[in-house]
Amino acid sequence: MGDYVYPSLKSRMKTEYKIYLLALLFIAIADSIGQIQIPLGPGKFILFPIFYSLILGILSGPQVTKIIGSKQVKAASKLVIVAICPFIAKLGINAGASLEVVLSAGPALILQEFGNLGTILLAMPLALLLGLKREAVGATHSINRESNLALITDMFGPDSPEAQGSLSVYIVGGMVGTIYFGFMVSVIAMLGIFHPYALGMASGVGAGIMMASATASLAEIYPAMADQISALASASETISGIDGIYLTIFIGIPLCNFLYRKLEPKLGRIADRRIEKRAKGKVD
Amino acid sequence: MRYLEWTVLFILSGIGIALANFVGFDVGFMDSLPGIVILLAISIVGVVIHKLVPLQLPIVAYVSLLGLLAASPISPAREFVIEAAGKINFTAPLTMVGAYAGMSISGQIKSFLKQGWKMILIGVFVMTGTFLGSALIAQVVMKITGTI
Repeated sequence: MGDYVYPSLKSRMKTEYKIYLLALLFIAIADSIGQIQIPLGPGKFILFPIFYSLILGILSGPQVTKIIGSKQVKAASKLVIVAICPFIAKLGINAGASLEVVLSAGPALILQEFGNLGTILLAMPLALLLGLKREAVGATHSINRESNLALITDMFGPDSPEAQGSLSVYIVGGMVGTIYFGFMVSVIAMLGIFHPYALGMASGVGAGIMMASATASLAEIYPAMADQISALASASETISGIDGIYLTIFIGIPLCNFLYRKLEPKLGRIADRRIEKRAKGKVD
Repeated sequence: MRYLEWTVLFILSGIGIALANFVGFDVGFMDSLPGIVILLAISIVGVVIHKLVPLQLPIVAYVSLLGLLAASPISPAREFVIEAAGKINFTAPLTMVGAYAGMSISGQIKSFLKQGWKMILIGVFVMTGTFLGSALIAQVVMKITGTI
């Protein structure tokens, strides 16, 4: 057990104090701005303080204002879990308080996990049409959060096209996922196709911060059902956290490989032809 | 991380929650305190269980289950837990999560911009597909079982 990142609490503080102070400052700024609702057609797009603090955090980094260095960047990624635990505890409490709803939704909760494979069916054909080859398997096999990226890197090797695809979507998800989830969920809610309970369950995709953003939007759109929605999101997120990696290994990746074999010869040709045409056009 | 580090960092999270709850929702520090203590206690117990139990489950899975148990009908403190946690506004704990997460991805801006529109579009489809797939199955199954 000698493999701690820091030799002592004091040395951690010395490296990370800037992160703590900035985080508290960002909270003061973000929460005094508060929620902003932007009407959008029949619905609304809601901006939450988490979006502002996220953006302030990105801006403070070594590639923009350089207030924090790469040492702090690395440290901050380990701190996300510490901050999200109390939120997850709160959602757990909501689930306990609405236990009847969670239990009555039991079968749906278990089965909707397979819905996370929907990403493969939707995104794989697109990726192939855009001309990706084996990168498509890594990019579309799952929502590509930390554990998925680690799995793909482990299975195919860090220099493989699959790992590159996974890393790309990981970076995109990290950068825009939180805000996009809040936005997407309000648009889908507006369509009125799905019951708020189904939307709540679907929010538990196995990425805590995306679930949080989606649930916050839903709670704002359906205030009367906010407790039940967050209870179902929490239950679904917990199940995803437990079964997600197995779903990926035993179904997700084999399904990706199968679809790749079936679709790539057809869709890949369309992409190749288009790319060729464009190359020719440039020569002419 | 050592338990001491976890504890200090959790207390810091507690301060962040209290600050957000006060600045954003005008809930005084003393009103937030019981709820924060409960959320932090559940988090710490979750970490302890995660360290002791040799299963490869994420910490948040334990934390979530502990929260559920603490507020379920079998808990003797059910009413108190629900009431105290209810004082903590839903989004109050999230601002700090955003701050840390933002800082942790701040080193990736350049590689993000290098991804190009194709990868961004694929990323959007990946996120949308995951959500829609689950929503669709949840909707159908709950209709069948009569939950909705």
